[in-house]
Amino acid sequence: MKAVAMRYVMLSQNVMTLGSGIVFPFYLISIKEIGGDFTQYGIAYGLFTICSAYLNGYFGRSSDRFGRKPFLLLGSWGMAALFLLFPLVTSIWQVYALQVAMGVFGAMQRTCEKALLADLTEEGRRGEQIGRYHMGLSLFSGLAVIAGGFLVDYFTLDLIFYFGSVLLFASGLVLMRVQEKSGRAGMET
Amino acid sequence: MTARARLFTAVAVILYAGAFALSLTVRSAMPRGEEATDVGRIVSAKVDKTVAVRTTEDVAAAIREARREGRKVSVAGTRHSMGGQTFYEGAVVLDMRRYDDILDLDTAAKKITVQSGATWEKVQEVINPHHLSIRVMQSQNIFTVGGSLGTNIHGRDPSEGSLIETVDSFRLMTEEGKIMTASRSENADLFRAAIGGYGLLGVILDATLRLTDDVVYTQHTSLLDYKEFPDRLRASVESGSTGLVIARISTAPSGFLREMYMTEYMDSSIPLADADTRLNGERAVELTRFVYGLQRKYGWGKNMSWSLQERLFRSNEGKPITRNNAMRPESGFLEYRDAQKSDLLQEYFVPLDRYPEFVDGLRTLLREEPINLVNITVRYMPRSDESLLAYSRQDSAALVLLINEKRSPARLERLKGVTQKMIGLAEQAGGTYYLTYQPFASKEQFRAAYPAADGFKAAKLAYDKESLFMNEWYAEYLR
Repeated sequence: MKAVAMRYVMLSQNVMTLGSGIVFPFYLISIKEIGGDFTQYGIAYGLFTICSAYLNGYFGRSSDRFGRKPFLLLGSWGMAALFLLFPLVTSIWQVYALQVAMGVFGAMQRTCEKALLADLTEEGRRGEQIGRYHMGLSLFSGLAVIAGGFLVDYFTLDLIFYFGSVLLFASGLVLMRVQEKSGRAGMET
Repeated sequence: MTARARLFTAVAVILYAGAFALSLTVRSAMPRGEEATDVGRIVSAKVDKTVAVRTTEDVAAAIREARREGRKVSVAGTRHSMGGQTFYEGAVVLDMRRYDDILDLDTAAKKITVQSGATWEKVQEVINPHHLSIRVMQSQNIFTVGGSLGTNIHGRDPSEGSLIETVDSFRLMTEEGKIMTASRSENADLFRAAIGGYGLLGVILDATLRLTDDVVYTQHTSLLDYKEFPDRLRASVESGSTGLVIARISTAPSGFLREMYMTEYMDSSIPLADADTRLNGERAVELTRFVYGLQRKYGWGKNMSWSLQERLFRSNEGKPITRNNAMRPESGFLEYRDAQKSDLLQEYFVPLDRYPEFVDGLRTLLREEPINLVNITVRYMPRSDESLLAYSRQDSAALVLLINEKRSPARLERLKGVTQKMIGLAEQAGGTYYLTYQPFASKEQFRAAYPAADGFKAAKLAYDKESLFMNEWYAEYLR
């Protein structure tokens, strides 16, 4: 049933938002910690976005063929794995490399999440359903930013990466509950 | 879920747990390191780690571990020094702020023994009910006693010199983990070197300070010209009835380095029992912060703030205030964390009679090479030469400059140039500059202002043979 699938997708993406949200506004501090400046902030942010730009189209097409779930799963677990590497970074070049890799997984996640939303919502009620979906997401991203700030202040930057990583991995586990008919679009649990 | 999906999930969980454990293992094997800086944020270093000290054994353990690993040790309080005195590249930083017990209060002898991480605020809270007061402290009470000892601060009481003069004794842990007591009669050389010694001789554990009585003052503020200031200040000090005195010289375009306010806290005949002895909290911080922000940013803001102060002083004229409350002015509005700019302090000591000459020189210099001077406070600093690195070896006017500057390399390089000229003006007038702020002075200027520098270094090496205690400031000027 679409509604049940939607619920699991929502839960999964909320957890995923929480996981990345506690990291994203703060993780570039790590660049500062390894001695970066504003130019390097800019490059790091830009690399992430530019790398995902072209891949969005590719992953979108592929998900039409192979299903959304594998890509969403790869997106969150891949990101979870990358977060485990951040505490080990010692130079700005490693940060750039991680940004590129995050761009790849980010593209999978973003495009497939939107496509899946379109699959699971019904014409005529789409606005209402997407609205509800985004309400949850915004709520979690707000909570995540607050929690992230707290964690950085009172613990170390490493901790927020590990914490975020666990949440991202968990969001993948929730996604496993969603069963997707192979091929195009239809989903059930 | 199907059996296949379950298997897949199980494998994923195992793989992830493995990756997580691997990451943690590698991380813990990596050299530690964190960025350390101070409120000025223009000097920073990557330190090994910061140890939050709670017990004397924590200090000893941190010293043992640092020696075993071949690391240096820096000592930090609230990190309000601005020249890298609280950290060093690769060092272990001892954060003393939680090592803050009050060990003893002898109300009859008017003495208190406190651990070095205690702040003046904590000391005030403990002694205020006993109608006792601190003899020498900064204008704010947020600093630790240990940090204040390391920098041998001074205050606003014109009858007191620098902090060292109010210290009976202290205990210090050396590089060997040995605890030594220092006073004027025991290890006197250590006493003179470690107070004002920026944590370079060892870790000051606790100190016994002499206190005075809390009394009721009345406030009087007068507007005066900078040329009258030395005589007016001397008269006030010699009257013997001035408990605290602080002056300001205008940084506003309208009366730039000419107009002054002098606020005297005069002894009153009001008994303490009739006064409000409760300690003040912070009031109207946001409003003050806002006005301060305008003052920081605009010339008209500086003009406005200067005239607002006049109104404020007039409303306080003649008002009674206890010494303890006069010694805890608001400081919350001074907190400033701009992404690109810093509030930087500098202090110059000039012989009182040569104050007008110094101010004239400063005005000419700063008209040619303007800097964003937010405010200047002026205090009286009587001769105080007990500390080896004493800064006021004669009766002086002490000018504290608050400068707002962008932390870009080009701006800081320029400020360094202007600062060296200001130090030059002070030295020309027979004065000195304060070591606690930015490390902008040239090595020659440092040597000229602190002729006992070599003696200080010798004392450090006598007590700290392996130079375990180290900071960026020492590495820059004395190593």
